[in-house]
Amino acid sequence: MQHGRHKWSALILTALAAAVVLTTGAQFRQMHRDEVIVPGPGVTQTRMLSDYFPALAGTTGDTEVYILDGEEPGATAFVLGGTHPNEPSGLMAAVILVERAQVKAGRLIVVPRGNRSGFTHNDPQEGSPQYFRLTASDGSARTFRFGSRATNPLDQWPDPDTYINPSGQKLSGSENRNLNRAYPGRPDGTHTERVAYAIMELIREENADVSVDLHEASPEYPVIHAIVAHEGAEDLAAMTVMDLDMEDIRMRLEKSPPTFYGLSHREWGDYSDTMAVLMETANPSQGRLRGRTDEALVLTGQDALYVRAAELGRLYVPYDDEGHPLEERVGRHLSSLAALFRNMEFVGDGEPFVIEEVPSFDEVMANGVGYYLNPAPARD
Amino acid sequence: MLSEGLIFAIMVATFMATAFGFKFPIGVCLAIASTAGAISAGEGIALRHLVEGSFGYLNTILVIGAAMMFMKAIQKSGLLDTVARWLVETFYRSRVLLLVGLTVLVMFPGMITGSSTASVLTAGALVAPVLMALGVPRKRTAAMIAMAGIYGMLAPPVNIPAMIIGGGIDMPYVGFGLPLLFATLPLAIAVSVILGLPHMKRLTGIDDIRDELPESYHKTYGLRLYVPFIVLVVLMTGPNILPGRFPDLGMPLVFLISAVVACLTGRPTNMWRIAREAVHDSLPVMGILMGVGMFIQVMTLTGVRGWVVANALGMPKALLYVAMAISMPAFGAVSAFGSSSVLGVPFILALLGTHNEIVATAALTLLAGLGDLVPPTALAGIFAAQVVDEKNYFTVLRECVIPFVLTAVWAVIILRWSTPLARILVR
Repeated sequence: MQHGRHKWSALILTALAAAVVLTTGAQFRQMHRDEVIVPGPGVTQTRMLSDYFPALAGTTGDTEVYILDGEEPGATAFVLGGTHPNEPSGLMAAVILVERAQVKAGRLIVVPRGNRSGFTHNDPQEGSPQYFRLTASDGSARTFRFGSRATNPLDQWPDPDTYINPSGQKLSGSENRNLNRAYPGRPDGTHTERVAYAIMELIREENADVSVDLHEASPEYPVIHAIVAHEGAEDLAAMTVMDLDMEDIRMRLEKSPPTFYGLSHREWGDYSDTMAVLMETANPSQGRLRGRTDEALVLTGQDALYVRAAELGRLYVPYDDEGHPLEERVGRHLSSLAALFRNMEFVGDGEPFVIEEVPSFDEVMANGVGYYLNPAPARD
Repeated sequence: MLSEGLIFAIMVATFMATAFGFKFPIGVCLAIASTAGAISAGEGIALRHLVEGSFGYLNTILVIGAAMMFMKAIQKSGLLDTVARWLVETFYRSRVLLLVGLTVLVMFPGMITGSSTASVLTAGALVAPVLMALGVPRKRTAAMIAMAGIYGMLAPPVNIPAMIIGGGIDMPYVGFGLPLLFATLPLAIAVSVILGLPHMKRLTGIDDIRDELPESYHKTYGLRLYVPFIVLVVLMTGPNILPGRFPDLGMPLVFLISAVVACLTGRPTNMWRIAREAVHDSLPVMGILMGVGMFIQVMTLTGVRGWVVANALGMPKALLYVAMAISMPAFGAVSAFGSSSVLGVPFILALLGTHNEIVATAALTLLAGLGDLVPPTALAGIFAAQVVDEKNYFTVLRECVIPFVLTAVWAVIILRWSTPLARILVR
């Protein structure tokens, strides 16, 4: 009798579990669909990262590489967004470059989804939203994923207890799925290390004069509102910071730590001839002190707990009720990039890099991020 | 909209009511409390978040299941009994030396892997029968093993909480060797002597306890009896000793392989029965971990986590050490690693400029590690209880109170004097 009862409760619980798996499984599965990027008139060629490292073909590590060739010859710049898919201003600044920018002299190469696998899931226990929505120039909705800092465990699992990266740095095991700890990569390494290797190959093969990795950081992190430069890029970064200062945009100049290996601003510069730079804006939706975690926080950056933390002197950026909205963070990245591009002719070989239709900080603040996105195609 | 404090109160009250009122399993209570939190915050049942949160412990759950299989396999193969007997017969003459030696032995797997679970379930399982044969009571034995496991997890060369805190402030894991040794080894020795020595029999000869010792199977099976342990140590330490040249199979697979080997090298055992027993015994812990995952995900989703962290950071400076000593172990109930990330990073940021960051981080990891003794997760306590076959792990945790306080005080002392200590310990 008791055995029969257990049988029924087991059946009911199994059916319940199956229902939960099916419902949530569909939600998780949806994250594997790439958001649409609508290339603008400036894009002359779309390649794949696997063109630089064929072993990536057919994997989640493969991702679009947008090339914007100028009418005139000049320097080559590489911009990487989406290294950490929970830092949306990097993705959005890169997408706006692809959808709006027009290069007049030189060559711009943009990878908006650096760690494409990281866009396909969220970090457990972070309570993150899966998506955030923006209104494009024609009023249509554009949806983007808010992903994870790390590669999806479906692509790379299990994590070791400790991770020794390609440069021999010992890190906690979960960092082995962090693209920005895996440089210069390994051709026969993990999924993440192979993506890192492919990006290194792109930089080397395209002879990128300057390479920029777009990031965000939590407001309590010391390196924020900052440009971190490899020693080979210090002059360029210093000129950029001075230019931004004249536009009333405060960005700190930070030297790439010489002994902290695996990061883009260190290894890109050490393992290629490029001038390696990383940029950070302030994103409360990835911070440890944040309150309610939802799409509104991603978009507005307004958070009462961060205001309180600022009053206590615990933050490295000013924080008030206005927060740090997405438009401010994307505008900061775009203005920093524009200033960096302007100064390229004063460093290295002195080759010019001229780019147009990149909205300034003030323009993005006034019009919003969606205003600079192309109309959504039907499937979006 | 309800405040974060009120949402937290609803979650805790729901947990208490279901756990102590209805006496549901702890894992189920945590799931119900998480759902109540999500609903009260206007998020509905938040099914996606509940499932996603529970995935945070997937790897730990697999380690638990596989390690339990290994433990049962070496119990049944005779390896555990044989080693326990050999250790006593060899070292019975010096009680203190024996205690220190056994403590370091328990610490060793944790030092190499960075996991207290590895220590407790491997070397801890070997040492437990020895301590009990020497007169240490069962619960006290479990406490000694739990504490040694935690100190092993934090001792160099591998301290994962320090790596996590360092990663949060761009501080490479370099120069931590001596500070971590200073933070852990004196404590480990003191705690083992305080807990164990009063109970250990004064042996005039091995014949005094020969009859109480477990049987040795060495003569029957010879060296092959020890192969499972050798396989475990080699597979576990290989990736750290020969990075890039030795395959890293992950702890679950390492334990599984070693368990299978144990079934083939000692007393005849039924592999399927071992697997069933191990999964049966581990299910409550696995359920708790999944529940904790849901709980923390909903805390983050609703802003409760940030509220807790902001309140801890908002303490007056004079109370900052107290806030650290209380909140880091308390949050460690979720996991020591979670505590290092969520609280350890903001705390070390608050200390930058006034403290030496390496020594201070070493001290903070002591506090985070204590989280492995805080229920409901209390991984070290739960596993140590299972190693000595004690059903109620709360009785083991009670035995850990004095070492717990001692560790917290030691951590605060190191924090307070981190700068002068750094002149000696950091090179």
